[in-house]
Amino acid sequence: MGGKVTCTLGEVKQRADFIVYWGGNPAECHPRHFTKYTLMQKSKFLPRGRKDRTVVLVDIRETKSAKAADHFLQVRPGKDFELLTIMRAMIKGQDVPEAQVAETGISIEVLRDLIEKMKKAKYGVMFFGMGLSMTRGKHMNAAALLTFAAEMNAFTKFVAMPMRGHGNVTGADVIMRWQTGYPFGISLNRGYPRYNPGEFSTVDVLVRGDTDCAFIIGADPGATMPKPAIDHLAKVPTIVLDPHVTHTSRLSRVHITTAPAGIAAPGTGYRMDEVPMPLKPALNSPYPSDEEVVRRIKEVIATKPDWMTNQPQMIESQV
Amino acid sequence: MLRITGGTVYDPANGIDGEVKDLYIADGRFSSKFEAGRTIDATGMVIMPGGVDVHTHVAGGSINFARAMTPEDHRRTHAFIRSKTRRSGIGGMAPTTFATGYLYAGMGWTTVNEAAVPVLSARHTHEELRDIPIVDKSSLVLMANNEIILDLLEEGEDERAKHILAWHIWAAKSYGVKAVNPGGVASWKYGNDAKHLTSKIDGYDHVTPGTIITKFAKMIDELGIPHPLHLHCNNLGAPGNVETTLETMRHLEGSRAHFAHLQYHAYGGDDWGNMRSEAAQLAEYFNAHPNMTTDAGAVLFGDTVTITADGPWQHLLYKLTGRKWGNLDVENETGCGIVPYTYRPSNLVNAIQWAVGLELLLLINDPWRVFLSTDHPNGACFWRYPEIIQLLMCADYRNECMANLPPNIKNKISLPEINREYTLYEIATITSAGPSRALGLSHKGDLGIGKDADFVIYHRDHDIARMFGHPRYVFKGGEIVIEEGDIRETPDGREYLVQPSYDPEIDKFLRPLFEDRYCMSFENYPVEMERIERSQIQDCITPESEG
Amino acid sequence: MELKVIENATCTFCGCVCDDIELHADDMRIHQAKKACILGKSWFLNHTAEKKYPDALIDGQPASLDDAIEVAANYLYDADMPLVYGMSNTTCEAQKECVAMADLLGALLDSHTSL
Repeated sequence: MGGKVTCTLGEVKQRADFIVYWGGNPAECHPRHFTKYTLMQKSKFLPRGRKDRTVVLVDIRETKSAKAADHFLQVRPGKDFELLTIMRAMIKGQDVPEAQVAETGISIEVLRDLIEKMKKAKYGVMFFGMGLSMTRGKHMNAAALLTFAAEMNAFTKFVAMPMRGHGNVTGADVIMRWQTGYPFGISLNRGYPRYNPGEFSTVDVLVRGDTDCAFIIGADPGATMPKPAIDHLAKVPTIVLDPHVTHTSRLSRVHITTAPAGIAAPGTGYRMDEVPMPLKPALNSPYPSDEEVVRRIKEVIATKPDWMTNQPQMIESQV
Repeated sequence: MLRITGGTVYDPANGIDGEVKDLYIADGRFSSKFEAGRTIDATGMVIMPGGVDVHTHVAGGSINFARAMTPEDHRRTHAFIRSKTRRSGIGGMAPTTFATGYLYAGMGWTTVNEAAVPVLSARHTHEELRDIPIVDKSSLVLMANNEIILDLLEEGEDERAKHILAWHIWAAKSYGVKAVNPGGVASWKYGNDAKHLTSKIDGYDHVTPGTIITKFAKMIDELGIPHPLHLHCNNLGAPGNVETTLETMRHLEGSRAHFAHLQYHAYGGDDWGNMRSEAAQLAEYFNAHPNMTTDAGAVLFGDTVTITADGPWQHLLYKLTGRKWGNLDVENETGCGIVPYTYRPSNLVNAIQWAVGLELLLLINDPWRVFLSTDHPNGACFWRYPEIIQLLMCADYRNECMANLPPNIKNKISLPEINREYTLYEIATITSAGPSRALGLSHKGDLGIGKDADFVIYHRDHDIARMFGHPRYVFKGGEIVIEEGDIRETPDGREYLVQPSYDPEIDKFLRPLFEDRYCMSFENYPVEMERIERSQIQDCITPESEG
Repeated sequence: MELKVIENATCTFCGCVCDDIELHADDMRIHQAKKACILGKSWFLNHTAEKKYPDALIDGQPASLDDAIEVAANYLYDADMPLVYGMSNTTCEAQKECVAMADLLGALLDSHTSL
């Protein structure tokens, strides 16, 4: 990560008078984001709530979220990186050729007006969704937006935050960072963590056929991944832990039914802004928790002879 | 039971300065008698109490943010390989939790104090602390920019503010209170700062950094928190900030106070070009005022990552260096900033910073009041402490290092005129006995009967950095955890907490204010006691216990 | 039948992780999830305490939990390059166990984030 200027959601609720959603559709994907955290809340600093805030939506199509916005910018598909780069140049007063601006689908007048408003804001925030980070340019788009937000601090206060989906994916990120140093895409096969997304990330590993046993928990890649990846999951012994028998369960050798997190299993979940929340299950499940099952599998493995012996305790340098 | 015979013991808490003395250990503590069990012959070796770090950043949202920002360091630095009983880890600038425990214990440190915890992420911090093996732990909660408390101070509702402060200390399951750039971090929420004790704070008409500091110190003393106000002064890192620091010290006369990483607050001049050390001036004032303790926040040359709740300073550092910048504003409470940094001997400002840290350690004459720290990872990583010990103990080595500094540093530092060399007794004081006392951990940093058997046996070595970097044995709670560099055991450490008393009715007052500012439920905010592994509640100081 | 009420319950369906949900539940199912959004409501109401599935399946056949744990451990231990993946819809406590298991195995370790 090249850096990130961010905040917790309560700061947005209290202070953000300029809110940008880029490549996300909170009205349908994070339905309470507007009401609980961002648009509708009143605060000491923004006593009139929604009236004190300016909301901009940037997306390739006019989703339901556009209705909630004061300004909707329809960017051409695949042109997010270009638009972000142009805006980064414009805030610094650099010249941008109008023809290149036009390619993004947004006129230079609209951008000039928007930038003026952004600079006048007291506390700006940019949320970005998978429409930005999972389309052409991927993490480069996210990096461009994060840099844009950081650079806006030369003029006023600005922060940025990803709209994380998928329940507790943030928790996985946070824990892997403190235990291994890295957020995802990790190999432990030398006995210590190494990081290389593209080499160690799951889709690539499966498509290349680089794993000979897959343990899947809290996810259903059998329903979402590209076909060659799914084919490989069916070929090797796959183990699934899930409250339901999923697509992946059906192609696995072992499925274990577990109690759903937060509904019948207690513990902790992280919000998209990395604030940890206690989970309060309402039901007693007839099934064990994920935590218990993984611990038991780990304990069985631990009784077997260690295949990695005669290793030094530490290596001074990895390079 | 265990017996250590023939070692030369340095135990400042009991005034023992290099006496050959046997130590007996039973049930994790030092004992007066030995009946049966293993005997370790420490003849010719040096024995000291285990190190206690009064100020470090090893767990929670900000160091974990730093880990995310520095994969390029993780992939080159030392890596711990997992064994059947031990987890893997990565060392370097922002070590993983497991590696943090191995590295601290590996050089004989057995207790660490995480110095900056927002209440909102206290649950996260305790999860990480639980994953730091071997050492005992405590943490300080960030409070001096809490808008609910500042609002009350603004209205003169000091008594209520005190109850709310106590409520938060317990909600975070923390051990004490950290104040970072009081008022400045609150102003940063709108991109501003509060550099001086009389600066205006965004959103407040009456409260100034000066009022916050004095009132917090008073509240903490009245609540009887064992560790005094732990203060990161305003105007960190800036040329000329010694005036702010001295003014802060004058505000705190009559109160207890711990000044964190004083090195960053001891500069003269008025811009980067004419910046100079004012360590001598600061040390002179400090020496005359026994109400204060401090940790050095020493700097060593090399790569690191800076992390602090001081958001505005980090924005400046980002602008100065053009390197990566991380910032996290935490609703109502605080924030943090992250910038990777390289201290270079050829850089005049860095060279001055290096000298200032050492000058403070050498010019403050009472080792019971100045402690070894680098404000890990800000000045340098904690695992480089042995290098600082060498600089303190060997004037010749210091002079050798000074030869690498830029020639125009002359007259900007006083280090070349200082001949003092630390003794082993003084090293044991600044690394263990002193910080234990400042933290109010009376069972630590002390080899007396009944105290925790956390101690280190060193080979005598003319190479001081090697001696302190490679202990012969490290004992934690009477158990050998390190032997000749090998990690033997990785027991779980304890966590120390305090439970100051407050009016239980304060919940009713706080709830609507909380619901207005935060976006999580009031009931879910306090950290549940059962989440703290091996917790131990330390008593607050009552007028009777003092008397 | 008296419904048990859980106040300030936490919904982990999306990244908002709202923690102000009021759940009304009996032994078998959640009947109401007040304050939850449309996605959160269906998340809470679609899970039950019923025994809808077998404890475990091995090669598609119902099996006991103990057997499934044994077989899973053997597959993972025998593999040269096992993969531990997912960790979205689960607790931090389970995630920590996953990382510990991957460490022990010398496995690949990855989450949804890499997609």
